[in-house]
Amino acid sequence: MNKDPLILVIDDEPQILRALRTILTEKHFRVNAVSTGKDGLAYAAAQPPDVIILDLSLPDINGLEVCRQLREWTRIPIIILSVHDSEREKVAALDRGADDYLTKPFGIEELLARIRVALRHTTQSAADPTNIIKNGLLTIDLTRHIILRDEQEIKLTATEFRLIAYLASNADRVLTHQAILTHVWDAYDADRVEYLRVFIGQLRKKIENDPKQPEYIITESGVGYRFVTND
Amino acid sequence: MQFIRSNILPPLLNHLAALFTVFILTVILRELQIVLSIQIIVLLYLLPVIISTTLWGLTPGALAGFTAFLAFNYFFIPPYFKLAVHKTEDLITLVIFFIVAIVLSQMIGQARDGLKLAKSREWEATRMYEFISALSGLQENNSIARTIAEHVSEVLQIDQVEIYIDKQNSDSASILRIPEKKVYINGSHYIRFPMMTVRALEGEIRLWHGHEVLTPIEQRLFETFSSQGALAIERTRLAKAENRAKLLEESDQMKTTLLSSVSHELRSPLATIKASISSLHSGAVNWDSNARNELLAVIEEETDHLNYLVGNLLDMSRIEAGALKPKREWNILAEILDGVLKKMSKTIEKHHITMDIPNNLPLVPTDYVQMEQVFTNLISNSVKYAPENTLISIVAHVPDHTTLIVKVINQGPKVPEESLSRIFEKFFRITAAERITGTGLGLSICKGIIEAHRGKIWAENLANGFSFNFSLPLTLDGVLPHMPKENNDE
Repeated sequence: MNKDPLILVIDDEPQILRALRTILTEKHFRVNAVSTGKDGLAYAAAQPPDVIILDLSLPDINGLEVCRQLREWTRIPIIILSVHDSEREKVAALDRGADDYLTKPFGIEELLARIRVALRHTTQSAADPTNIIKNGLLTIDLTRHIILRDEQEIKLTATEFRLIAYLASNADRVLTHQAILTHVWDAYDADRVEYLRVFIGQLRKKIENDPKQPEYIITESGVGYRFVTND
Repeated sequence: MQFIRSNILPPLLNHLAALFTVFILTVILRELQIVLSIQIIVLLYLLPVIISTTLWGLTPGALAGFTAFLAFNYFFIPPYFKLAVHKTEDLITLVIFFIVAIVLSQMIGQARDGLKLAKSREWEATRMYEFISALSGLQENNSIARTIAEHVSEVLQIDQVEIYIDKQNSDSASILRIPEKKVYINGSHYIRFPMMTVRALEGEIRLWHGHEVLTPIEQRLFETFSSQGALAIERTRLAKAENRAKLLEESDQMKTTLLSSVSHELRSPLATIKASISSLHSGAVNWDSNARNELLAVIEEETDHLNYLVGNLLDMSRIEAGALKPKREWNILAEILDGVLKKMSKTIEKHHITMDIPNNLPLVPTDYVQMEQVFTNLISNSVKYAPENTLISIVAHVPDHTTLIVKVINQGPKVPEESLSRIFEKFFRITAAERITGTGLGLSICKGIIEAHRGKIWAENLANGFSFNFSLPLTLDGVLPHMPKENNDE
């Protein structure tokens, strides 16, 4: 790509805009920074960015509403910024189509990692989806329903496999409890977080080196889970 | 009890009764005329005067005296059957009789009225005394209203009484009614007494009863009731106002403590950050040196610390406002704890942490994020007080099938027994504030969260250290978690 990726930042804090603009430009991104939801929607339509960074508390339109309106016409990745303790809001935004979130205050490495994942998913979904996912010692073959750890096959139940397959095919993205439950079980079980807790526990015992300090399946407090790759 | 009215015969009947006694006596004396001397008859004629005065009052007595005088003259003094007197001594007898009868009736009447008055005064005083002493202990408007209503219906035959109490600061106006259901009785008269103190109108006594006007005694009693009632109501209002003032003062005091503690707490990391950044900025520190990395690490740590402090403040204000509603879901305790220990790895690096959580521990209905907060605060508190290189152990067990007990045990100093329950209060500190940093909010946040989960939190001294304990219910709305069956479709 000869053109640097364009990032649209929507946040009403001038100092955050200033810092993000400086840092992201330094990291070879092009940056559009706006401070209202209305401007954000207008910019997104006029000059479609590669990634949108959206603060949930905006002076004019609620961030959730901006998210919903964007999702009416575009799949551009959206990374939510929000404050600590607003898990319900984060989950609501993710369920409305946001791709990821960051809790303020955040480290810039985290933000860059999220942006990288978002960009990768844009390019990936354009190409053919991969059928074999490799991550550290793990190899997951989605078509043959096989999972290997250090070349050794791991026996998983059908539900466990559906769970790891769903997490792994959305590698590095946060998935909400509801999204996982709906996908792996069904929409009726969307509130049964207990299923998820138990099955994630079983999976960790089978695939993690130390289930107490998981490397692959990371808990996102109050929000969901993330399958982390170490690239 | 209502003797004010019940003892009063209509006046006409009183007088007729007086006449009747004279008539009866005359009939009897006519029969006995032959055996009785005139002197005895005169004396006997004083009887109806005494009886009438005593029983029915002054004027019936006087009437009895006058008719007795006429009857005596007519029937017993010659010439008989004529109101005339021939003999001088008979005339004297008659005159003396008349004077004696009148004087006697006057004296008895006065004594009787005096006695009656004294009795009713005593009754009135007793009622007032009973009323005032019944009111004296009352602290609450509703019971005051009930007492007034009960005493009103005790002294007066009423159809209904209503005690209206005007609205006071936070309390809305109230009406207490006896009998409770509103009754409508024909011919019932409505009378009301304002309950007023020199400062304000506190309410009203409204009553419906059969008489249009009250007797002076009733009038006096009701005036006393309403003025004493007003004073009692005013007293509760003032007591409430004083309580509120005290609370406000306390919360004001608390805010002052909070502000001073918080500004101190916020400023120290800011000072560190400012110093580090300005030295980096000024070029005083070599860009490639270890010092630079050290300063940057300090800045990051202090920023995290600031974030933690602000988080605690927000949590506290949420707890205070009653806005802390846990989103309770089935969670695995060990998963929460593993996450917390990972996040706190820097904080706990100088202590040894052990976890003793049984593998078969049931799922616990908790708010994941809030439980993280509880563990973070308890562990960071343990780290703060326990000496370096000591053991902090986290133990969980299920004593019965409904409760989970978690203990965070450290080898730190003991807490004086009398302070054990107070350490969960806001800003409570055992050691001098300068020695240990913190806002003094961490443990009270734990308490707020655990109690919002319907659990309990407490602390205890152990032989070799100190332990924070909490319990959590293992059921969510009375039920246990539902577990899916593993489908064997493979």
